[in-house]
Amino acid sequence: MRLVVERFAHNALALLAVTTILFFMFRLMPGTPLAAYINENLNADQQQAVLEQFGLDKPMWQQYFIYLGNLAQGELGLSFFQRRPVLTILLEVLPNSLILTLVSLIIAYAFGVLAGAWLAWKRGSWIERVAVPAVLATRAAPEFWIGMVLLALLSFNAGWFPSGGASSPGMAYTNAFQRMASWDYLHHLALPVLTLALYLQGLPLLLMRSNMLEVMHEEFVTMARMKGFSEWRIVIRHAARNALLPVVTAFALGVGLSMGGNVVVETVFSWPGIGRLLVQAVSVLDYPLAQGAFLMIALVLAVMNFVADLLYMVLDPRVSHGRKS
Amino acid sequence: MAERAEPAIPTRSSWSLLGVLRRIVAMPLHDPFAFTGLVIYVLFALVALFADQLAPADPLEILFTKTGKLAANVAPGAEFLLGTTNLGRDIYGELVHGTRSALAVGLSAAIIVAIVGTVVGLVAGYFGGTTDAILMRIADMALSLPFLPFVIVLTGFLGASTSNIVLAVALLLWPNSARVIRSQVLTLRERAYVEAARVTGASQWRILFVHIAPNILPLSFVYAAIAIGWAIITEASVSFLGFGDSTSVSWGMMLQDAFSSQALSRGQYAWFVPPGLCIILVVVAGFFISRGYEEVFMPRLRGR
Amino acid sequence: MILEVDDLQIHYSTRAGPSGSGVVRAVDGASFAVPEGRIVGLVGESGCGKTTAVRAIMGVLAENGRRAGGRVVFKQQALDEAATKKLLWRDIAYVPQSAMSSLDPVYTVGAQLVEVLTKRGNATGRAARARAVELFDLVGLSENRLRDYPHQFSGGMRQRAAIAIALALEPSLLLADEPVTALDVIVQRQILDMLRELQQRLRLSIVLVTHDISVVAYLCDDVVVMYAGQVIESGPVRDVLARPRHPYTMGLRNAFPDLLSDALELVPISGSPPDLADPPPGCRFAPRCPFALAACTTGTVAIASGSDRTHRSACLRDGEADQLRKAALDPETWLRSSSFATS
Repeated sequence: MRLVVERFAHNALALLAVTTILFFMFRLMPGTPLAAYINENLNADQQQAVLEQFGLDKPMWQQYFIYLGNLAQGELGLSFFQRRPVLTILLEVLPNSLILTLVSLIIAYAFGVLAGAWLAWKRGSWIERVAVPAVLATRAAPEFWIGMVLLALLSFNAGWFPSGGASSPGMAYTNAFQRMASWDYLHHLALPVLTLALYLQGLPLLLMRSNMLEVMHEEFVTMARMKGFSEWRIVIRHAARNALLPVVTAFALGVGLSMGGNVVVETVFSWPGIGRLLVQAVSVLDYPLAQGAFLMIALVLAVMNFVADLLYMVLDPRVSHGRKS
Repeated sequence: MAERAEPAIPTRSSWSLLGVLRRIVAMPLHDPFAFTGLVIYVLFALVALFADQLAPADPLEILFTKTGKLAANVAPGAEFLLGTTNLGRDIYGELVHGTRSALAVGLSAAIIVAIVGTVVGLVAGYFGGTTDAILMRIADMALSLPFLPFVIVLTGFLGASTSNIVLAVALLLWPNSARVIRSQVLTLRERAYVEAARVTGASQWRILFVHIAPNILPLSFVYAAIAIGWAIITEASVSFLGFGDSTSVSWGMMLQDAFSSQALSRGQYAWFVPPGLCIILVVVAGFFISRGYEEVFMPRLRGR
Repeated sequence: MILEVDDLQIHYSTRAGPSGSGVVRAVDGASFAVPEGRIVGLVGESGCGKTTAVRAIMGVLAENGRRAGGRVVFKQQALDEAATKKLLWRDIAYVPQSAMSSLDPVYTVGAQLVEVLTKRGNATGRAARARAVELFDLVGLSENRLRDYPHQFSGGMRQRAAIAIALALEPSLLLADEPVTALDVIVQRQILDMLRELQQRLRLSIVLVTHDISVVAYLCDDVVVMYAGQVIESGPVRDVLARPRHPYTMGLRNAFPDLLSDALELVPISGSPPDLADPPPGCRFAPRCPFALAACTTGTVAIASGSDRTHRSACLRDGEADQLRKAALDPETWLRSSSFATS
């Protein structure tokens, strides 16, 4: 339990650090600090209201605490261009990003773990000699380029998938859940998921493979062999179970990391997610929205870091079960 | 595997700087992966050096056919090896000249990452205490920033220049190398030969740079090789998103250009496939080389 | 005889080094036998092939190792791969050197005990758990420890747990590889005493691999001395340790504190064992042997029985063993390097 609190504090502090960096980054941007919040298109009264809300007339250190206070209440200001609260806009697109990320990760990790274990099994064979460099190549390819190639091949050329967006024009749904459970949504989701999964599978695959190779040489695996257990039992119950530990942690971390990396994939497929929102906000200099999107991504990252720590504790008794005297 | 029967690295004594450099240079000759990586690097370096000879025309020049019409979307052929863009630019020329900016971005980021990571790792690991704590907290902070969003925000607001991209990449990548180097220094610090140097009255800095630094130099190379790839991919991604330096020709700009001018729906594969393959090749070369160094110099680190 | 090992050859292939061949003969023609109901010590310096030999019997060599020749016979049945698989753990069990690394860290010790009972034995869930409690009791562990993970055990407790797992299916032969080496002296003695008691109670035969001749003296009935992949002396402990006939055994005895009498000065044997990728011709101990003759460095020396039949030794000067033994007691003898050391 102490460990849980400790990890929570650690990740919370990291998030605080990120928000602090962001605060100063936006203050130190070229132009007046007011530019970060006040849109020239607002009328004088509206400008005054924003000025007070964010304490922009006060000294920097006071502004910092007002900023933290606003953040704690979810108050991220108004988008310059959409004229709507930033939080509302973020919450609208967040599910799209989470779904894209989670579905891709699950596919990538399921495939990566199995293929990695299998490649470890096949070590020294020609399959391994071909597969390992090929997997490295998928890790080396820019995500958006994988997306472009798939888009050209499977959408424009073969016509199997729509070329972008999250739903076909003219589709109407009564609620968000119904929309996301629809065939149309899944059809739009397929290519971005394939792209992201293709990019993401390399890490679990290579990690699983090298872990397996290492674990297979552990004494307890040799012991399992001496005990006369079946090969299947040795590989799955003993070797793979141990080799999986770091992969599971990587999975949780992957959610946060690929949320950050999603920006390019979401842009390629015009997927209405938080990454594409960030890109749009930055390109039109919509400071409040950009800041909000960035913070949301950082929040997901921090939460997932914490989840990764928890998962490790659950899965590794050496961490969760203390030493008895 | 036969390699398990052989001892990894025998208990190392202090390596001389020259000795380490010689091993760093000689390593790719022993590892087929690393050798492949090195060959790829050399080829791209040659292309970058002789870009003007390989593609003499200005890559941004707009070309016309003999009949005086705009040479737009010409298919690959004898005249234009990879065809032309929708604005009548030679794709092959762009690709060749793009090598320069890719290598410039990759190498400058790698050098900064290697230097900062090495120095911070050495100082934090050797002196420990408050210095160590402060440096590692800064590293933690940098690592908890979402990578690409940070680069986008920085370049989006500070201005879309190559140096800003390099700066952003370096800001985020140094902590990885610093951490690993620090932990390596922690173990090296306790070795007998360092103890011996201390007893003979060598100064702290001398011990650090003469006795410890050469031993972690291979690690700096590992992280430099990885940083080259990351920087190139990041530059390409940022350019693709429209925050790149529009005055220079880069692979990322080419991809953005192709994407926004509907090359995908027209099936102009010769436009957007080659830049991607070039990026893959350079990045994979970095992986291969770093893998080679890890196997040779620190087999314990594999898979981490 | 419950176990007979006859001319066992284990080769490891390595990358060709400066010594050439690329084949390390870790065990090179070792023969020994284990009588039923006795504890046989397999003793020698590290790298002499003793661990390799027992692992080969268990059928688990490293990937680059292979059994290149020889026979292993268990209860009159020659063991090939398939026969070994069937016997493993049910008839021949193994106690590892480091119980920490040989227990799976992610399962409780109880679960690993039950796994053996149910997957290799015929026990079902409830019976297996009852048997696990019984086994823990047998090795002196409290039953609520079954729910603990290996890292929560102390070194001595882990070793007891490893012994419990080894005894789970009531094997008749136990191969124990340095079972007490990692422990402190007091715990060592507890574990050895327990092994002796269990051996008598369960009528076990035990092969105890160790580098520590005092452990052999304390626990074993018979001893097999290995040097550079070969057996150079074997026989009842009382005979071999009291009247060693091979100079290596004489030297080995000098190098360890004596548990039975007040120790003389400890005298190490100078030099190091030969490179097994390129062993010297003749007696492999000759380069380090203070008594070596020119004849020792050519041909091979077969292991032979002495007058009492059970005590065997492989030394060309076996006839002079009594005189050599006297000379070997003098530390000065071992300071002189062999006159053939460099030839």
